[in-house]
Amino acid sequence: MSGPDASFDDDPQLRERLRAVDPAASLAPADPDRVARLLEATMSTPDRDTTHDTGQHDIGQHDTTQHRDTGTTRRPFARIAGVAAVLVIGGVAFAATTGGDDETPPTAGGDPAPSVLTLAAPAEQGAGARCMMPNADVLAGQDVAFLGTVEELGADTVLLAVDEQYAGEEADEVRVESPADRMELLVGSVDFREGEQYLVSATGGEVAVCGLSGPATGELQNLYAEAFGG
Amino acid sequence: MPEDAGGRVLGHTTPRCACEGGAVAEVDAGEQDRRARFEAMAPGLVEPLRRFLVRRTDHATADDVLSETLLVCWRRLDEVPDEPLPWAYAVARHALANAERGARRQRRVAAKVATLDPPPEAAAAPDDGPPGDVPLDEALAALRADEAELLRLWAWEQLGPSEIAIVLDLTPNAVSIRLHRARQKLREELRKIEAAAGHEGSRGRSRS
Repeated sequence: MSGPDASFDDDPQLRERLRAVDPAASLAPADPDRVARLLEATMSTPDRDTTHDTGQHDIGQHDTTQHRDTGTTRRPFARIAGVAAVLVIGGVAFAATTGGDDETPPTAGGDPAPSVLTLAAPAEQGAGARCMMPNADVLAGQDVAFLGTVEELGADTVLLAVDEQYAGEEADEVRVESPADRMELLVGSVDFREGEQYLVSATGGEVAVCGLSGPATGELQNLYAEAFGG
Repeated sequence: MPEDAGGRVLGHTTPRCACEGGAVAEVDAGEQDRRARFEAMAPGLVEPLRRFLVRRTDHATADDVLSETLLVCWRRLDEVPDEPLPWAYAVARHALANAERGARRQRRVAAKVATLDPPPEAAAAPDDGPPGDVPLDEALAALRADEAELLRLWAWEQLGPSEIAIVLDLTPNAVSIRLHRARQKLREELRKIEAAAGHEGSRGRSRS
């Protein structure tokens, strides 16, 4: 044998006979446009290994003025959101997280089985009833209280990712489920919007309204800070 | 703002790593360089890879594995050698093996796909060509899988031993020796089959 590749030309007859039954022999060339699209899609596919880093980085940029986290949150984005929560609890004014800004909502990480707490919208009379002035004592007496970001807003469901929990059993997500008419009142009362952050409390499995749940803005933040700030 | 050869303005892509602000332009330049290298290399791989896969699996799986193979080439661009095709065949071979492991659960679905979209062996035979080669099919089937694969890489992909060595992760010498034996064995099987067929007449073997 003169060299490793010399044997390529051994027995050309046999090779031709094999080539005659090549299943790809009649295959038409691929459509160039389709190939171009495939290559573009390939280069645009996010690298699985860095997806999480990217998320953290993007969110981190929004919070560059913050410098510590609580160490108690469970997800990359929640850790960042938790920075805001520390300030809330500490009673520090934190106007940057008002519900009206245009931050891109953080998306959930890949935790395999998030724990979900299910709540209901308050009964109709609750939503329409007269409210007393919300105060920290009433708030502190709630079974559940948390800071969460609305991930899904449906006719009969609101799904919130828990960013920080102040009272009640810890959960990764809170699902508020109620018939559409009740949910409509709640959504109208709390002004739930997808992607925005809310302070929510609940008692008896029902979301508390009357100023005890709402967008995570200054006044409500102060109230939560007073109730749960220790 | 700098532009690359394609006229795209650099700096518009979202930074994909945790870089400080000042490094973003550099990262984008690196990204553009990667894209340029991939765009120069990949179109030449698509057609051979597609054929490689169509020879070994159904069309639906071939499409999936082609995408997966290109993605590996993109992600591991720095490891792709100057002669990328045998390396890419090796990637495709692994991806196909993975896909087929996963597909065993879904064999019924795959069978259905193959029925709707028959592999070209069934549909290919051109009118003026030979209607298949039954003795050859039988002879190939009588070989071990690794021997048959060596012969396919040699005859269909038209690779030399040093290229086959990259695909199969063997030394070129080992490939030469095994290829030599596989050819001998195939000839031997063909002789046996054709001798047997000679007694019965070829219709005896392809009765259908």
